[in-house]
Amino acid sequence: MAEVILKNLTKQWGDFVAVDGQSLEVSDKEFLVLLGPSGCGKTTTMRMIAGLEEPTEGEIWIGDRMVNDDLPKDRDVAMVFQNYGLYPHMTIFDNIAYPLRVRGTPGSEIEPRVRKAAEQVELTQFLERRPKALSGGQRQRVALARAIVRTPKVFLMDEPLSNLDAKLRVTMRAELKHLSRELKVTTVYVTHDQIEAMTLADRVAVMKDGVIQQLGSPDEIYNDPANLFVAGFIGSPAMNLINGSIQGGQFVTTGGTQLVPVGGDDRKEVVLGVRADDIRVSEAGQGNIDVPIYAFENTGEATLLTVQWGRQRVIAKGDRYLRKEQDDMIGIALNPEHLYLFDPNTGSRIRT
Amino acid sequence: MIGRRRKQVMNAVQLSLILIAILIMLVPIAWIFMAAFKNHIDVFQLKLFFTPTLKNFGTVFEPPFYLGHKLMNSTIVAFVTVVLAIPIATMAAYSFSRFRLTGETTMLVVILATQFVPAVVIILPFFVMFRDIGLLDTRIGLILVNLAIVMPFAIWMIKGFIDGIPLDTEEAAMVDGSSRLQVIRNIVLPMAAPGLLTAGIFCFIIAWNEFLFALILTNKDAVTLPIGLALFKAEEGDLWNLLSAAGIIIMLPMFVLALIIRKYFVQGMTMGAVR
Ligand SMILES: Nc1ncnc2c1ncn2[C@@H]1O[C@H](COP(=O)(O)OP(=O)(O)OP(=O)(O)O)[C@@H](O)[C@H]1O
Ligand SMILES: [Mg+2]
Repeated sequence: MAEVILKNLTKQWGDFVAVDGQSLEVSDKEFLVLLGPSGCGKTTTMRMIAGLEEPTEGEIWIGDRMVNDDLPKDRDVAMVFQNYGLYPHMTIFDNIAYPLRVRGTPGSEIEPRVRKAAEQVELTQFLERRPKALSGGQRQRVALARAIVRTPKVFLMDEPLSNLDAKLRVTMRAELKHLSRELKVTTVYVTHDQIEAMTLADRVAVMKDGVIQQLGSPDEIYNDPANLFVAGFIGSPAMNLINGSIQGGQFVTTGGTQLVPVGGDDRKEVVLGVRADDIRVSEAGQGNIDVPIYAFENTGEATLLTVQWGRQRVIAKGDRYLRKEQDDMIGIALNPEHLYLFDPNTGSRIRT
Repeated sequence: MIGRRRKQVMNAVQLSLILIAILIMLVPIAWIFMAAFKNHIDVFQLKLFFTPTLKNFGTVFEPPFYLGHKLMNSTIVAFVTVVLAIPIATMAAYSFSRFRLTGETTMLVVILATQFVPAVVIILPFFVMFRDIGLLDTRIGLILVNLAIVMPFAIWMIKGFIDGIPLDTEEAAMVDGSSRLQVIRNIVLPMAAPGLLTAGIFCFIIAWNEFLFALILTNKDAVTLPIGLALFKAEEGDLWNLLSAAGIIIMLPMFVLALIIRKYFVQGMTMGAVR
């Protein structure tokens, strides 16, 4: 039960900066997700919290203690590794029991606690096996059970669902969410899967190149992106980013003359962001503008229409029963409530 | 069709080469094996059928040969060498494998390079040194020499096994609450155990068979089995039947160890990460 505070945390290997002056406060019992593309420094940040990597600069606090000089074993964290890190020479039972045994838990307590943890991740029938005899998903659950068998100050989870198949990932995600609300332990969770981030997190920290781009609730990240990177990274399909300019309160695309009212001062260069859901699809002539369909996709739960707008392509989400053909003309209208403007040079958000 | 013919011919050639190689290696051993059970007069007759006798195995332990004493020396020297070498080599190998040491590569190469120095070159300095500090003809002296011989080999071999243990596993153990020593005891040693056993057996074999240093550095009290073989000379020439009996006594533990290795070597090689 503790908060985790990173102060100006930096990790460098030679000239290469993996984590760049990162500051972050994770409050007690909070579920914080570090989200970012591959190689942005998520694992490195987490390993520094666990004590497996020494920061080049900065401080790490767990609770009211600066832990920079503490060994991993003294930090009282539990970690789920990206590659599980199971003990191949021990049975699943012994794997899960290891953190208890090595910390000197009385023998009579070990068995019930291991069984309880195994039950929580539905592993009870595998306790006598060795890790080698389990599937990837089962191994991942062993790693999870080994973390939750204790009540540490902090859980650190490095892409714990990444090696599961799509279906199991969805079920495990729900189980994880349930478990985390039940256990109420401060958690730092690393993923590059934004759905995981959105569904699990109390707050999400979006990272890029070792720098946190935005820190906020899933709602804020999705509906109020701080910059171009966050806007483009969050959401599936990704937010449409259209180059153009502002002339007299109207947005004008680079190639065309089509206009959408956005307000604000005149600007030569601007990027307009709009999510597929915020583009209303209608018959030709009934929207702001008419555009031809470049591709029509049916995902079952919705339809995705890629349209050719001037020189750019834009994705709109349509009703699941909508049926169109390639090259059909349709009308689209942008929801003026949910338009975002960005400076293409700095990437920062322009608020009008 | 031609390709298939050719393959058959190649297979036949391969098989005959293997058989020839096996024959070359096994014939002397078979010869020794038979000679050990023959009487002195029968030795030079290539008879396959003879009345076997166990007398030779008794004679070698009697005066003036006293093979028992040499057997004892060999056993103690080889055993103590292994018992000392493996823990020390394990510690060294672990450090080389897991920590960034200054001059790590240089050290590793130098350790290996000691193996390239021909024994004959350094045997004289050893002799002089041992004579001065009174280690000549002692088991301790031999153990030290054998340690020097097997250590580089053991370090490199065990390092290979430890390299094969995924770092993740150790890191998980550390986060789970183990100190570095607990990680070594609970994770590294059990996982490297087949490797340590294999390395230990190899070291035992090397120490057991060591000849040159034992020849120069011992003459009576600490004489080992391989040197003892030279004793089986008499006025009537080499006592081949006794020599063979002693040879079998030397080889027997090797056979047993080879069988054990065979089992663990494969296991040691294939044991590794669980991903
Ligand atoms: N030991 C190391 N030496 C040098 N560079 C490293 C080392 N470990 C990681 N890096 C680099 O640091 C950067 C961040 O790595 P990190 O493992 O934190 O990425 P990540 O965000 O976890 O990515 P992924 O989603 O692929 O796991 C990467 O560019 C990586 O190449
Ligand atoms: Mg990672």
